[in-house]
Amino acid sequence: MKLAVVVQRYGAAINGGAELHARYLAERLASRHEVEVVTTCARDYVTWRNELPPGRDEVNGVPVLRFRVDRERDPREFGRRSAQVFGRRHSLAQELRWLESEGPASRALLRHLAGATYDFVFFFSFRYHHAYHGVRAVPGRAVLVPTAERDPAVGLALFGPVFRGVRATMFNSFEERAMIRAVAGGADLPGVVVGVGSELPESVSPERFRQKYGIRGPFVIYVGRIDENKGCKELFAYFERHAESRRDGLSLVLVGQSILAVPGHPRVRHLGFLPDQDKFDAMAAAGALVMPSYFESLSMVTLEAWGLGRPVLVNGRCDVLRGQCIRSHAGLYYESPEEFGEALWALTDNPVLNAALGRNGREHYRRHYAWPVILRKYEETLARLQQEDREGRPGPVLEPLPGWWARRRRDVPPAEEVLNGVPAGPVVPRRGGGARERRSER
Amino acid sequence: MTDFSVRSDSVDVEQIMSQIRARIREKRGVDYTEDEIRRIAGVKLEQFLDPRAVRSGLLEEFRRRQAAQRVETYAFEDTTLYESHRPVVRLVRRLLNPVLKLFLNPAPVAQVLHLQTKINDRLLRKEDLDYEVMSNLVVELTRLGIEVKTLKMRVESLSARLDFDERRARALEGAVQYRPGALAPAVPAEGEEAEGAGAEDGEADAQAKSARRRRRRRGRRRGAGQPLAAGAPGSDAGEPSDGSDQTGVDESGAGTPGPGAPIPPRAEDSSDQ
Repeated sequence: MKLAVVVQRYGAAINGGAELHARYLAERLASRHEVEVVTTCARDYVTWRNELPPGRDEVNGVPVLRFRVDRERDPREFGRRSAQVFGRRHSLAQELRWLESEGPASRALLRHLAGATYDFVFFFSFRYHHAYHGVRAVPGRAVLVPTAERDPAVGLALFGPVFRGVRATMFNSFEERAMIRAVAGGADLPGVVVGVGSELPESVSPERFRQKYGIRGPFVIYVGRIDENKGCKELFAYFERHAESRRDGLSLVLVGQSILAVPGHPRVRHLGFLPDQDKFDAMAAAGALVMPSYFESLSMVTLEAWGLGRPVLVNGRCDVLRGQCIRSHAGLYYESPEEFGEALWALTDNPVLNAALGRNGREHYRRHYAWPVILRKYEETLARLQQEDREGRPGPVLEPLPGWWARRRRDVPPAEEVLNGVPAGPVVPRRGGGARERRSER
Repeated sequence: MTDFSVRSDSVDVEQIMSQIRARIREKRGVDYTEDEIRRIAGVKLEQFLDPRAVRSGLLEEFRRRQAAQRVETYAFEDTTLYESHRPVVRLVRRLLNPVLKLFLNPAPVAQVLHLQTKINDRLLRKEDLDYEVMSNLVVELTRLGIEVKTLKMRVESLSARLDFDERRARALEGAVQYRPGALAPAVPAEGEEAEGAGAEDGEADAQAKSARRRRRRRGRRRGAGQPLAAGAPGSDAGEPSDGSDQTGVDESGAGTPGPGAPIPPRAEDSSDQ
């Protein structure tokens, strides 16, 4: 099959969640299909500045086609339009202008998609310009990997027809599927919860990490961008409080680039960006991984920790992470500083609990997120779509945009209001049955 | 080590979390959840706080005022001046815009109004922040009020126990000191002390030694007729022990009363729960 993977940025050094997800998938699918990556010349997701040369390229053996972004993002304009569509009653035209200001807008990319002969096109990240207009450029061949978090953009009226109109949706989690179903009007969307695997090393050496970075004693680890939006500020406050109350010598090791000031606490160590092998060694050496993020569609680093047999401590306000912990029985969660302290203590002080959670994590990863499992789900979806095409069964129809006048009618509710109406809470197994239910706890 | 009941083959995360929450509640001393504290803070503040210090219904009042004074804000762009719900009017205004610019410059007006909108937005956001801070303070104050109350109760209970312990200790000391046939008080009698400490010390020592010898002899005699119970102090060595061990009243008077010792008053004993 001839497949395209369309993503906002692409490259070996680009480590955003959705971008990494797209790269892993493209590289895996390339062994069985003819895969081409279609992307922009941007490297920075804030400005979309054209930094990479346009045209053909190759990354890890996968052909990549880059197109120039028409204009950089103006953060002030984007902020103003976001406030308008998220917080006030507005029109569909205003949402389209918001999408335009968000970017990355590339007419050349869209023209290429409209003219190309791919069997199916995978679009990553529903909220960007390329995905919305790209899905409309290849109706009937679009498969969406939404990577949707619980943020107001999901509540925009613009995206309802896209969710309903693609041939299939590859969800990252049950919570994401439930949320998208709700905003799409409760429709039974064709698709599957699949997620993404990771590239775990053959062997890890905790001792090597401890020697290389001079880390002694027990520690927990955070891996990722050190950012307030990722819940790091709260993590620092909670950890410092925990360190004051319990003098157990537990340290917090931070791995990743920092755009937030790291506190100068003697038990907080920031190591910066580490090579993959060191990162995995560090995770293997840690007592647990802490994931303080409020919004995640799927945390790859959490899956990696499970793959390495380490338990996790996650922010319980993030439905996806909490749901994953409950379903996998491989991690604890917190919603207050007291819960953080107690859960952290339980994880680091009780070796039986720690080992049991770690074992469950490894098993959960093996059963649901190992690459053979992921690829099987993708192959099954592609086979189903091909079968439907052969049988001439019509797929979902993409609703056309409303007319000029209708687009300008200010009758669209604020996106935040829409999102608040969407049920929250983790999806947990129903007691005594295989079916799943959604619990609204907050 | 944490005391979670974890079987290595099956772990229920939700169960562990409920155990963790139970432990937090225990530590807090009062069985209030976060939501309950918020409800208490919002509804009946005066039950937990001194009404003279903090006004009850403070949050409610603030919320009412906030709602009454809230101004509807709107976006003001450079095109807003010419906007109309009728497209024809909008078109005409736009066409006539160059003519208008001959009479006055609308750009600074639009700019100032745009700025004003931003200032309004900022003020509204600040109000929200004020409310949040106030709300958090009241919740925290309520929590502290509850905690203070609990701590007060605990302090009262501890001081009651301390009083009781002191009384009990005094009673025990008295019982040891005045039991029939006990040693003479080790402290010299009044008057003797005033006359010459050195001589009296020597005399007291001699008295104590002879008393100890008498006790030892008594102990040997009793030891021959009544063997010590297995496990009793000194029984395993087969060595005769000091008389004070046998009577159960040692030199300090803090040992377990022996068969010959008087039983402390029952009321004191039974109330030690």
